[in-house]
Amino acid sequence: MKSIAQRGNSDFYSGLLLVVVAVVALLYIRTLTIGTVLDMGPGYFPLGLALILLGMGLVMIVKGVTTEGVSVGRLHLRPLFFVLLSFVAFGLLVERAGLMIAILVQVGLSHFASRETTWLASAITGVLLAIASSVVFVWLLKIPVSVLP
Amino acid sequence: MMDIFAGLGHGFSIAATPLNLLFCLVGAVCGTLIGVLPGLGPVATISLLLPATYALDPIGAIIMLAGIYYGAQYGGSTTAILVNIPGESTSVVTAIDGYKMAQQGRAGEALAIAAIGSFIAGCFGTVVIALLGPPLALMTQKFASPDYFSLMVLGLVSAVVLANGSAFRAVAMIFLGLLLGMVGMDINTGEARMTFGLIELSDGINFVALVMGLFGVAEVISNLENVSTRIVNHSKINSIWPSFKVLRGAWGAVTRGTLLGTLFGILPGGGATIASFSSYALEKRVSKTPERFGNGAIEGVAGPESANNAAAQTSFVPLLTMGIPTSATMALLVGALTLHGIAPGPTIISRQPDLFWGLIASMFLGNAMLVIINLPMIGIWVRLLNVPYRILYLVILVVCAIGVFSVNNSSFDIYMTVGFTALGYILRKLDAEPAPLLMGFVLGPMVEENFRRSLITSHGDPMVFLQRPISLTLLLLSAALLISIVMPSISKRRGEVFQE
Repeated sequence: MKSIAQRGNSDFYSGLLLVVVAVVALLYIRTLTIGTVLDMGPGYFPLGLALILLGMGLVMIVKGVTTEGVSVGRLHLRPLFFVLLSFVAFGLLVERAGLMIAILVQVGLSHFASRETTWLASAITGVLLAIASSVVFVWLLKIPVSVLP
Repeated sequence: MMDIFAGLGHGFSIAATPLNLLFCLVGAVCGTLIGVLPGLGPVATISLLLPATYALDPIGAIIMLAGIYYGAQYGGSTTAILVNIPGESTSVVTAIDGYKMAQQGRAGEALAIAAIGSFIAGCFGTVVIALLGPPLALMTQKFASPDYFSLMVLGLVSAVVLANGSAFRAVAMIFLGLLLGMVGMDINTGEARMTFGLIELSDGINFVALVMGLFGVAEVISNLENVSTRIVNHSKINSIWPSFKVLRGAWGAVTRGTLLGTLFGILPGGGATIASFSSYALEKRVSKTPERFGNGAIEGVAGPESANNAAAQTSFVPLLTMGIPTSATMALLVGALTLHGIAPGPTIISRQPDLFWGLIASMFLGNAMLVIINLPMIGIWVRLLNVPYRILYLVILVVCAIGVFSVNNSSFDIYMTVGFTALGYILRKLDAEPAPLLMGFVLGPMVEENFRRSLITSHGDPMVFLQRPISLTLLLLSAALLISIVMPSISKRRGEVFQE
């Protein structure tokens, strides 16, 4: 199995994730009007939320560093990478190359996400999906997208 | 009382139109399908089909989405009994005695009792919605903004109860969801907030992209990580007509399961999964022969299957009367209603009587359809188990991609889905469930609006939340619920329930 087994404390990484999100949000909230309790601006409520999130994240980081917690689950990058890549490809192609090609490329890329797929089965599934989706979504539901380039 | 009959009559005139009957059937069939297929839950499926309902009228859309939810409760029992793989988390306990019965050649009996119990419970739960809905909605209409705020706090706390694992982490997920819900235009000033200059974000984060990424696609990836188990053999089904003796042995369990499930569905922090576990425990306790449990006791199938169906129905009560979702599935329905321009809340019954009564009537029809779909046609569903996941996941991914794209016809939403899939994957690896995040995201804007309004009317005095009796009661309830999770004795039992 081509996977990266990363051992680490899951409390620590959860905390880190929350802190990063909170800090990014806070940087943006700086540009908003905060206001006072009597006259709350757009930034008042988000500021409160971001500060709570920051606090919770810091607590989790401290907990992760000081105690021995559960380690993070095994990461399998193969399915993650190919599934995400197939979505990006679909997004890039659907308006430029048409629905059929976008679907075929998506199926082709997500084929690699599993080790159990066979080329023949995936190819048949891809072609059938491309035809069925064109009929259902473009012809019946009238999504404004072209079938072919 | 007369109003209810009038309402139901009106409801049937809406639900029985050919088109709505078709939507109800499609929902019931889809629900059974995903109930049977392990690794595809109602949350993922409803998010998958949400964009497809965009083109429908709101009533048809909700009828169909609701059908998926309660239909999944029927389908989940089928695989639990026949192959010992619960299709849904709500059927986990059904597998204990159901599969034993199947091994003893009593699969037909177990399936029939599960379907009959589900039908009775589903219909009873629906009656409860019709009875409780209008008075509860009237009561909620008297709520002022501080009461609403506290009601939402209660809704959010209930999401912590439902989450598996650390309560602290679930609370953090709620706040993350609330913060994500802030993205977009500020309601009072129209100013763009946290949009990072992207016009696509000015209406907020696309609900479908968020749900599809966090639940749909991330779930596919987790499934791909596990080596699939192919089901080779399954038990033969004998006659599906249960004998009088079996029916007599099961009716007590069906009644108790129905009542228990009805209660659990309405309560915040209840839900179908906990209802089925509690019902199993109750049946074992009241039985004169508890040693039969685990060896094919019919009560162990009848009770939990009735309980999960009753709870699946009555969990619509808080949604339809107060606009508060009590589970991730209900949060999705809030999103679906909003997509169709209907504000969920106490005014649904008075302003959208067609929707409320039509939905209730469709639940009766849907439950009746489900008995037919599940009993005589059981062979078709079992054969579906032979579709290998290596083909199924390709189909799911393509439908996801087209679905997200079709909401706004924008590739930007696809890239958003990619981002939320990555987030969902990371959260799963960190043992943080995304369901509380979804609840926070859905309720976020409403929480903020009521918070701001409350403090404006009270001239900045935060004590307003404690001074109003309704608000105070709701906050005390939330506090009690939160304490009960943190208390070691209860949290230990909660852990046991999820562990099984």
